[in-house]
Amino acid sequence: MFEIRRTRTRIGLQILLTVLVIPFVFPLVAMVQGSLAGQGWGNYATVLSLPLLPGFFVNSALIAASVIVLVLICTMTASFGFSKLRIPGKEIFFWTLLACLTLPGVVLLAPLFATVTRMGAYNTLWAVIIPVAALQVPFTVLLARNFVDGIPDELIEAARVDGANIRRIFWHIMLPLTRPIMAAVGVLVFINSWNEYLFPLLFLQSPEQQTVTLVPSFFIGQYNNDQTKVLAAAVVVGLPIVIAYIFLQKFFERGLAAGALK
Amino acid sequence: MLRQSLEAGEATVRTGNSSTVRRLKTPLGWPWILPALIFSVGTLYYCIGYTGYISTLDWDGASPLQEPAGAANFVHLLHDPIFWRSILHTVIFAVSTFVLQVVLGLVFACLLHSKLYLRTIYKVLIFIPVVLATATVAPVFRQIFAADGVLNAILRTVGLDGLARPWMANGAFALIIVIIVQVWQSTGVVFVLYYAAVGQVDPQTIEAARIDGAGNLRIIGSIIWPGVRGTTIAIAILTAIGSLKTFDIPFLVTGGGPSYATEFLGTLIYRVSVSYAQVGYGAAISIVLLAMAIVAAVIINTVGRRGEEAGV
Repeated sequence: MFEIRRTRTRIGLQILLTVLVIPFVFPLVAMVQGSLAGQGWGNYATVLSLPLLPGFFVNSALIAASVIVLVLICTMTASFGFSKLRIPGKEIFFWTLLACLTLPGVVLLAPLFATVTRMGAYNTLWAVIIPVAALQVPFTVLLARNFVDGIPDELIEAARVDGANIRRIFWHIMLPLTRPIMAAVGVLVFINSWNEYLFPLLFLQSPEQQTVTLVPSFFIGQYNNDQTKVLAAAVVVGLPIVIAYIFLQKFFERGLAAGALK
Repeated sequence: MLRQSLEAGEATVRTGNSSTVRRLKTPLGWPWILPALIFSVGTLYYCIGYTGYISTLDWDGASPLQEPAGAANFVHLLHDPIFWRSILHTVIFAVSTFVLQVVLGLVFACLLHSKLYLRTIYKVLIFIPVVLATATVAPVFRQIFAADGVLNAILRTVGLDGLARPWMANGAFALIIVIIVQVWQSTGVVFVLYYAAVGQVDPQTIEAARIDGAGNLRIIGSIIWPGVRGTTIAIAILTAIGSLKTFDIPFLVTGGGPSYATEFLGTLIYRVSVSYAQVGYGAAISIVLLAMAIVAAVIINTVGRRGEEAGV
């Protein structure tokens, strides 16, 4: 965007950019540096030798996968229904869903806790999966409906003239055409559920059931004053997602920005 | 049954209003929206209704003793200085994160649209904080701003010993730290949005302005900034909602303290409901927060609609 005619301008802008990026990199550098203080790589050896560690990742992966499946089923069927089918009072239903668009999860704390304990779901992954998924659906439906609105109705009519029923249209026309939005929704939901902190904190009590977001607090409990091990644990937990982002940059950026572009 | 009614719908043929082409009647879509409605609307409305009920109780959340309290919780709320402080913090937080993110995001977008070296690497570095969980990075921010932390060590090394202080122990600095962490985590998204928006600005307009002698800053101020107005509005809305929902950063980095200096509505609800076991009062705050969130949702839709009509 900036026009660069002279080398001096180019160097100036390059320096400006670098200076502005430093604050974004600094905490990451401090994190890695802090994790190597004291016993150096020994901190990582301690963290990685913890037998419970893989469990945290497995739980987070199970939660993220279940939430993605639930959200995608609800989102794709509902956006198809809202956009392409006849539903009397459609907008009323759409608005009941949209009213929950901005619902903060913490608002559901008391009723969820009471319900979860009564149903015996306390300390099970379901206690996290259900509310996290339910909270994402209004937004993903809004996102997907806008996308499906862009698919021409004629395409669906043509298929119906050819004798396809609604279910076949959904499978063979809708789903293939909505792949981009499914990918965006998938990434968005993955990040949100993988990074979810409040519900695991409230509902998952035993370390065997806990998620990666609870690893730092777990290590604070284990090694009270040893910040180096806590930071090493944070690096171990953060690294996989950073690597995933670097390999799938476009998907992550599109998915996470889709939120604002409606 | 369902299939039959759908097929019956298919068999009906009507004539389109605008054309003479015979159209098949659109089939009923009930079964398609039911999963979302039952699952999401069911769960969420059940919880909201339950919260509303709890908000009229005097209850500690565990004992079978639930005393009806009427509107006492809401009256208490109006006289609770910490509630009002939380709202003030939310407003300060929303305004400052919005301004910082917009300035940084737009500057990054313009810089990375220029012909500079290693652009992908810069972009990745700005975006990495977005994908990391607050829970993962909170320990490092506590470490940086601790009394014996990284920031003070740097200040002492460069000879600014006088500036070194226990940052988290000071209310004003603690709130600034919460704002810094938020800006650090969400500038990446704002940048990606602006990057896309700046790419949409007509290059011929920019070229014409350049021929007329406009400099880089003039072009950003007079062409790019109005050109990305729609994105700026979207970011304002996102920031407003995000601020109402703020929980992880104050909870994990400053713990809402010192002495409530970084209390937000989310952390206040948690503190009241979980730590103080005043679940009824916590539910009353939740209802107020919920009302604010719904107002925000309505504003989004009206602003969004108007934006679309204006062609933004």
